[in-house]
Amino acid sequence: MAGQGSRIDDTMLIREAQRGNRAAFEELVRHYDQAVLRLALHLTGSEPDAQDIFQEAFLKAYKNVGSFRFECSFYTWIYRIVTNLCLDHLRKRQVRKEDAPVTTDASGEEYSLLDQVPDGRAGANPERDLMRRQLGARINGALEKLTPRERMVFELKHYHGLKLRTVGEILHTTEETAKNTLFRATQKLRGSLADMR
Amino acid sequence: MKCEWVQENILLYIYNELADDARYEVEQHLGRCPECATELKAARGFHATISKRGVQEPTPNLLASSRMRLQEALETAEQGGLWRRLTFDPASWLRQVRFSPALAAVIFMVGFGGGIGAMYKMTPQGPIAGPGPGPQAPTFSEASITGIRSVTQEPGSNQVSVKYDTVQTQEATGSLNDQRIQQLLLFAARNNYSSGVRMDSVDLLTQKPDDTRVREALKYALQYDTNPGVRLKAIEGLGSFVKDDTSVRDAVLRALMTDGNQGVRTQALLLLQPVKADGLVRGALQHLAETDQNQYIRSQARSVLAQLPEID
Repeated sequence: MAGQGSRIDDTMLIREAQRGNRAAFEELVRHYDQAVLRLALHLTGSEPDAQDIFQEAFLKAYKNVGSFRFECSFYTWIYRIVTNLCLDHLRKRQVRKEDAPVTTDASGEEYSLLDQVPDGRAGANPERDLMRRQLGARINGALEKLTPRERMVFELKHYHGLKLRTVGEILHTTEETAKNTLFRATQKLRGSLADMR
Repeated sequence: MKCEWVQENILLYIYNELADDARYEVEQHLGRCPECATELKAARGFHATISKRGVQEPTPNLLASSRMRLQEALETAEQGGLWRRLTFDPASWLRQVRFSPALAAVIFMVGFGGGIGAMYKMTPQGPIAGPGPGPQAPTFSEASITGIRSVTQEPGSNQVSVKYDTVQTQEATGSLNDQRIQQLLLFAARNNYSSGVRMDSVDLLTQKPDDTRVREALKYALQYDTNPGVRLKAIEGLGSFVKDDTSVRDAVLRALMTDGNQGVRTQALLLLQPVKADGLVRGALQHLAETDQNQYIRSQARSVLAQLPEID
């Protein structure tokens, strides 16, 4: 997460960006763009959707950086924008009931996200690879059954390692509510994946 | 009651979210309660299972193309609305109001001059010629240009002739330092239907890459021009900025990953060698070394990576 030094850098860059310095904003983007894209990609499972969310999030930030009042870190602020966009996306997808484990790349081709994770282990074999993919599909299926908000809290806590206090700040709620949502999400996931252990 | 409290907090214990005193209490209880210890084991088992679905890192290519898309969008995006501009910088607003009549007069004079001087020819003014014959010199808007017919440079000088069409074909001659000549070249580099003219324009613009507008035009040509020769000229012109300008580096990296022409990709690979330690460049090279269809690119990427120190 952003350390003290980077917070100071951010403050200077934000002030410059607020004066209309685009280069400063682009530098600011560089501090967070990989994390933002990773979150969007993990939540949407689709490269084009993740790119759209990335683009919209930083454009929103650019247009509204003038109203940033340093009441939270830039990190929290940009994550707040991204998670809101991702929540909208998840809600729309829930309505459409899309098939979660299958994703699409930039050219519109369908593939499994897990297929893209390189298997660098020596002696990797097709059987183990197949099992790994089946496991991934089961986990994806279980994650898809969560409500968008439960999914978001679980993602931010479990896969991105954020503190519950930060999760609460990002989602405009209390640490206690984030904690309860995490409990609920975990219970549901344990129920869905009970036969896997 | 104690067991209930511990089991409620086992999840927070695993995620290291408990305060020290609560953590101590949980650990003490787990040491003497087999039922809660079993629950901890089950919770840890679930934690390990769900962690098998790791977090996928975006590929260098996806990150680079996302950055490029964003940069393009930022060029046309405006910060805040009118309200913000009025609120945040009233001094500048007042300045604008104060100078509005003068500005209107200047626009009127320039427009009047432009009407008279539809055809003009500039005299050569040497290698570091000034911006024009005088403050009342006519300017043209890009909107009135329908196309550039030809771009030629006099041998042994920096005098450039640009033949362009408005309603009828016109010609402007001047030094490469001339603002109007530069404006025409920038227009031609992006818009012209003839790839030969685009090539000539890009070639001339590469002599002035320090100008940010020129650099933008070169990046644009590298990314969007359909002619590989033009892209090759553009990438050559951008070469000296790969080290210091990250937007140029991204443009070159994108060309390396996606350009359909092997010559352009090879040139991109060559230019990125001095910045191979950049995480994004390194990731792209690793990707190319393993998966690129072109054998030469694969072997070159491997050889560049081999020069890098090992990172644990």
